[in-house]
Parts: sequence; structure tokens; C-alpha cells
Amino acid sequence: MLFGVGTASSFCFKGVYINSTIIVGNIFSRRSFSTMKEVGTHNALSLPTSEYVGEAPVLRPVSVRAKCSSNVQSTPEIEKKYVHGVYDAIAPHFSSTRFAKWPKVSAFLNSLSPGSLILDAGCGNGKYLGLNPNCFFIGCDISAALVNICADRGHEVLVADAVNLPYRTGYGDAAISIAVLHHLSTEDRRRKAVEELVRVVKKGGCILITVWAREQEDTSLVEKWTPLNQRYIAEWIGPGSPRVRNPSSPRTLVSIPEAEENGTGEQLKDLHAKSSKVKSAEVMDSTSQDKGRSLLTGSGKGYAEQQEFFVPWHLPYHRAEVSGASAVALASGLAKKDDKKGSMVYNRYYHVFSEGELERLVSGLGNAILVDRFYDKSNWCIILEKTS
Amino acid sequence: MRLLTHNMLSSNIKGVANGFPLKIEVEKVVQKEVDFNIDFLKNMFYKVEWKALAEASRTMGYAELPENADAAMLESDDFLHKFHHALLELHLEEGALVCPETGRKFPVTKGIPNMLLHEDEV
Repeated sequence: MLFGVGTASSFCFKGVYINSTIIVGNIFSRRSFSTMKEVGTHNALSLPTSEYVGEAPVLRPVSVRAKCSSNVQSTPEIEKKYVHGVYDAIAPHFSSTRFAKWPKVSAFLNSLSPGSLILDAGCGNGKYLGLNPNCFFIGCDISAALVNICADRGHEVLVADAVNLPYRTGYGDAAISIAVLHHLSTEDRRRKAVEELVRVVKKGGCILITVWAREQEDTSLVEKWTPLNQRYIAEWIGPGSPRVRNPSSPRTLVSIPEAEENGTGEQLKDLHAKSSKVKSAEVMDSTSQDKGRSLLTGSGKGYAEQQEFFVPWHLPYHRAEVSGASAVALASGLAKKDDKKGSMVYNRYYHVFSEGELERLVSGLGNAILVDRFYDKSNWCIILEKTS
Repeated sequence: MRLLTHNMLSSNIKGVANGFPLKIEVEKVVQKEVDFNIDFLKNMFYKVEWKALAEASRTMGYAELPENADAAMLESDDFLHKFHHALLELHLEEGALVCPETGRKFPVTKGIPNMLLHEDEV
């Protein structure tokens, strides 16, 4: 039912992961997690911020935990505006670009017993719903616009929050969380979402979780993201009232063709073919942290540990006009115009995961074990099994 | 929303001890044919709260399910088809789901329940 060692490792960076079954909690002893000290093992979400002196960013660690909402299930403003608001605004266009199914997700879904009930928490446009015709799927997403698209396709869906699923305990046979956790802005919320996934499946049920990796295969993508600076973190993850402001970072948004958007394997392959310098597997195979750091930061310096980003979504004018929401988005600062590209640019909030971070997030679960983990198409992925 | 989903949903408002089953307020029910999957039915039989399913199906205008059910009934084609119909083919298209403890209504629009909580409910 689960992926074998060979299957799992074939998608990993060479030599990083060699085994596929370990008990959560013991992972810290593994060499491959030696870089975890970079992200810290305490609860505070540490991340660097940048102050700019000319072109040279100065890094200073800050803790955002103290400013987080006291209630883990209460949605922070940054997620309301830069995740839910954006997906509601771009839903039809986003959906039109989301059809490629990742082979590893398909393999997981096809490995499940016939007659299984599969819960997709954060189903987006529902591209995995119904993938295994012998199973039944129920999807949910916090974006009503995306859920409407799923329903129009005949899928069984509801609007719900992955951090607080309105489901009975143990009802599902399996669950998936594909590209969801990186949109949650605090570690407590990301952990709560994992706990919810575990809670809603039966004992023995498996859960596949994938998140965007800080270690992107195409490093040029990262340079097109806008690192959140301290002011954003203070304003949006903090309790203060939201205000509209453009990013003050000198690393302003750079136009990015839709084809470069993370998540479609064929397109990434094309990019790799075009790029003579990207040899991600070889570069990432290095055990040298310095080497990894230079990969992550590209031409800039000091972004090695940056994990909070705005990632642009380009909504072509001809799509924006029909949505009718573009004027509102412009007025509120949710989007801005890029006349050169002929598109509206929306920022989506991402917390990209560092190597080992996903495993660390699930290490405190008392009722699930880690049965597989792999890196696939710039995503960190794990499979959990509920044990009690 | 199918009754399969209704049987899984539970009000998760802060402070609610038992949010299941949600009461169904019916405005519009539609029926859609679904392929028969015996593996799924036999799997789901052990998951569903039968009384909640039987009552929900009656609320939706389908009164064919027995008051109680046991595993021996899975041998009956007649029973399986009724179970299949109630679980998968009846849709609440418009209406509401009502929290049994607080009375809070979760709207169901175009077949989609909106289970999002307000700020003061989490």
C-alpha cells in the first residue's frame, strides 16, 4: 500500500533520503536533518528580516510568535487577504492552470483500497477529487470560489477551514493535504492542520501532505518572490489592524510568466531544459550548507533562512476584466497592474518549508508515524499513518 | 450535499460538546444517479451512524431505510440499493444544517455547505 524504498528515493535528491519507514520522533538523529538547526527547534517561529542598506540586506532574526493570535483557529489577517482573498479573486484563472496531476499524489491515491473514503482538505479546484474511480472523495477548501468550481464538476465539496475541520473523528480512510500548509502563517496553525488531518482518518489510515520547499528546483523562481520584511510580519501576522501598503522591499515584483508558476511538472522540465545553469539534483546533493545557501539566495545575499514570501500571481487583463473584481482589488491594494505583462499581479502569502521542517512539524504527534517522505517537484512530501 | 457528507459533518463551534448530527432544513432536494460501488457501501456501513442516516433520509423525503440495520443486511441487494440511494444519490441542494446544541445555521447553497465559523465561534 505504501511506497517502497526504491520509489521514494527515486524522487529524492540523490543520497538525501535512503529509507522510507521511521518512527516520528527519532528523525532528529538522522544526518539528513543536520540542517534543522537553521530553522530552530523551539516553538517560536524564527525568521530573519531584512533591512536594506543600499543593495545589501542586513539580517536580523525576529520572533513572530508573540504577535500571533492567541487562538490558533482564528485566521490571521495575512491569510485572509493574501491567501483567501487572492484565491477568491483568481479562482477561475488559477483553476484553468491547475490540471497537471503530480504522479506521486496519483500513486498515493491509486494505492488506497477500493471503496475508501478519501478526504481532501484544501482541495483547490479539485484536480485530485475522483482520481481513483474506485474510491469516494470529499473535498473542502476555504475559498468558496474554488469550491464552486469543484461542485460544477460534480464533486462532493464544502467550504471549511483545514485548521478546524467540521468532521467527525476517524470517518475518513485516508486524507490528502496538497499545497495547503504553506499558506498558513504560523507554526501553531500548520501543526493544528496536521492534527486535524490525523484526527479525521481512521486508525491505520494514511495521510499525504505536500508543501512547497524553500529548496526550489528552479532557483530563478525564488528570486521572483518578495520576501516579507519585518514590517509586513508586524502588520499582518501581528494583531494590528490591516493597512494597505505596497512592499517596501527593493526586491519588487518581477514579472513571471504563468509557465514558471510552481506546480506543473512539464513546465518545470521545460524551464530546466532552457536553463544551462540549473542542475538542481547535483547542487542539492551537496552536504555543504554554504553551497545550499548560495543556491537559495541566488544572486542576492542573506536570504538563506527567509521562508516568508509573497509569490506573485499574474492574472491577464482579459481574465481580470471578466471577473469584475479587478477594480476592487486595485483599490484595496490587493492587486497592482503590470502593463508590460498585461496582467494584474496578486501576491499570495507563502511560508516555504525548509528541509526537515515538515518532519519536525509532525514529530510531536502521539497518534501517527511517518511512513514515507520525499522531495518531488520542489515540494517536501510526507506520508503519515494514524496509529491510534 | 450528500447524506454521506451529512453523516460525517459535525458542528465545531467552540464549546459545543456534541455537534452531531446536524439537523437538516430542506428547501430543495435533487437526485443524481451514482455508479454502484459495493466495496464502498460495505466500507461505509461500519462508519455511518445509522440512525442519523435514516432520519436524514426521511427528512429528505426518502423513507425506505429501516430504523435499524445490522451487517447481515449487507447480503441483501435490496438493502444495498436503498443504502446506496440514501447515502449517495440524495442531495440537499438548498437549505441549511443546524447545530444541535446552539441552533446556529450553516447554509447549504447550490449543494455546497458553508461550514466556516465566525470569529467568535472559534
